[in-house]
Amino acid sequence: MRLALERVGHAFLGRTVLDDVSLALDAHETVAIVGPSGCGKTTLLAIAAGLFDPLSGGVRRAYARHAAVFQEPRLLPWRTARENIGYGLEVRGVRRRARHAIAERLAEAVALAPEDLDKFPVELSGGMRQRVAFARALAIDPEVVFFDEPFTALDVGLRRALQDLVIGSARERGYAALFVTHDLLEAVRVAHRVIVMAHRGGRLAGMRTVADAPGWRDERTIWQTAEAWRTGDPLFAHVFGVEERA
Amino acid sequence: MIVRALGRLGRYAWSGWAGLTGLCCIAAAWQAGHEAYGSFILPAPLDTARALAALAASPEFLRTATETTGRALAGFTLAAVGGSLIGVLAGYSHAAIRAVKPILTVVLGVPPIAWIVLALIWFGSGGGTAIATVLIAALPIAFAGAAEGVATRDRALDAMARAFGAGPLRRFRSVVLPHLVSHLFPAWTTTLGTSFKVAVMAELLSNAGGIGGALAVARANLDVADAMAWVVLVVGLLLAFEYGVLHPVREELERWRAAGVPWGVKR
Repeated sequence: MRLALERVGHAFLGRTVLDDVSLALDAHETVAIVGPSGCGKTTLLAIAAGLFDPLSGGVRRAYARHAAVFQEPRLLPWRTARENIGYGLEVRGVRRRARHAIAERLAEAVALAPEDLDKFPVELSGGMRQRVAFARALAIDPEVVFFDEPFTALDVGLRRALQDLVIGSARERGYAALFVTHDLLEAVRVAHRVIVMAHRGGRLAGMRTVADAPGWRDERTIWQTAEAWRTGDPLFAHVFGVEERA
Repeated sequence: MIVRALGRLGRYAWSGWAGLTGLCCIAAAWQAGHEAYGSFILPAPLDTARALAALAASPEFLRTATETTGRALAGFTLAAVGGSLIGVLAGYSHAAIRAVKPILTVVLGVPPIAWIVLALIWFGSGGGTAIATVLIAALPIAFAGAAEGVATRDRALDAMARAFGAGPLRRFRSVVLPHLVSHLFPAWTTTLGTSFKVAVMAELLSNAGGIGGALAVARANLDVADAMAWVVLVVGLLLAFEYGVLHPVREELERWRAAGVPWGVKR
């Protein structure tokens, strides 16, 4: 067990966002959290990542390093791609030369051209920026990675490529991941388990396990699973019913 | 690396032609004014330049110019450093900004000329009066710029830095400070301009020598060419410090902004 949320509850100005949420993340496991927008997914992730403390309950962490990839790339605009990738390492006191060597290696891993490393974020396309953000997360060799709807802003082809990158790197490096998304297809593709949040009250509605490991499923099964859950599974009915009304 | 920095400096100097165009437009308008109203009201730019050259030949010129420059820069440094420091601290708390803003309005609302009178009473006539007036007139501008800069920091980037384990000091250095620069430099430019203006005014009114004192003498003699020459000198000094020091530093710190502009005069 890498990470455990125990009876976590949170409220903003008296409005309950999370209520009695418990979940555990095993080593080498990717768990997706789906739910309609505004259900508290991002708050849950922020609490798990330690960005703020919950009002009740607690978070137990059995690891040393975590990293995060956000919906927007959140790169420092005044730093080149190379220096952005090294940011987490810099925080950990790694020397410049070593940082740059790691950045160069990771650029290759996320399919970023070497000449792009000296560019500033304004000079990169949206997909490349998100690749840099992903490389920045991998650079610190994390044991847990938090993904907050990381590919929502990208087009379908790019999203697929980056999903494959997440699946591949998770298997290769063995990190555990908490992956927030509202795309069920994405959840079924990248995760071992899918946790569904209720659209009101900040509670967990339930959990489904996807057959086989991520990366070993063929497209057909992924699509059929997602479709079967969307149309036939009462657990998901409220998620997409609410979104259609919104 | 040094070669690249020199290249950027060269490009900056080259963009000076665009700035020179603006200055030439002013000179042209000035010449037109001179031709319409005559030498007594408005001496020609070239006559003024000649008067300035004549003044520059006199032994006291350097002392007069350095006196004013020293006072303006002393006041500017105090105002920029002090104002920015307090501004950064206040910027982290919206309540503090709310509390300080009315004080700023009051301080800025009191005309510099009133501060000069008060400073004359407090410090007597001399350099201290000029520096104190510059400080009071210029500090609120630097403060407002710094506070605004910190208050508008990118909280998403701040959260990112925290997610990667960055402490408050590192977050200030890597996330807030580079953003602050884009607020500080316009404020500092205004602060510098105010410093020179107020320094000359304080000198003129407090009889403390410097360019202000020389202007007072020129007025007493009704020597319009000399008066214009001194004015040109003050403006020239301001331009020299703004474009010779402040802007190149900013350029170097904000390279990432220029990176988004494909070609041409970038600043």
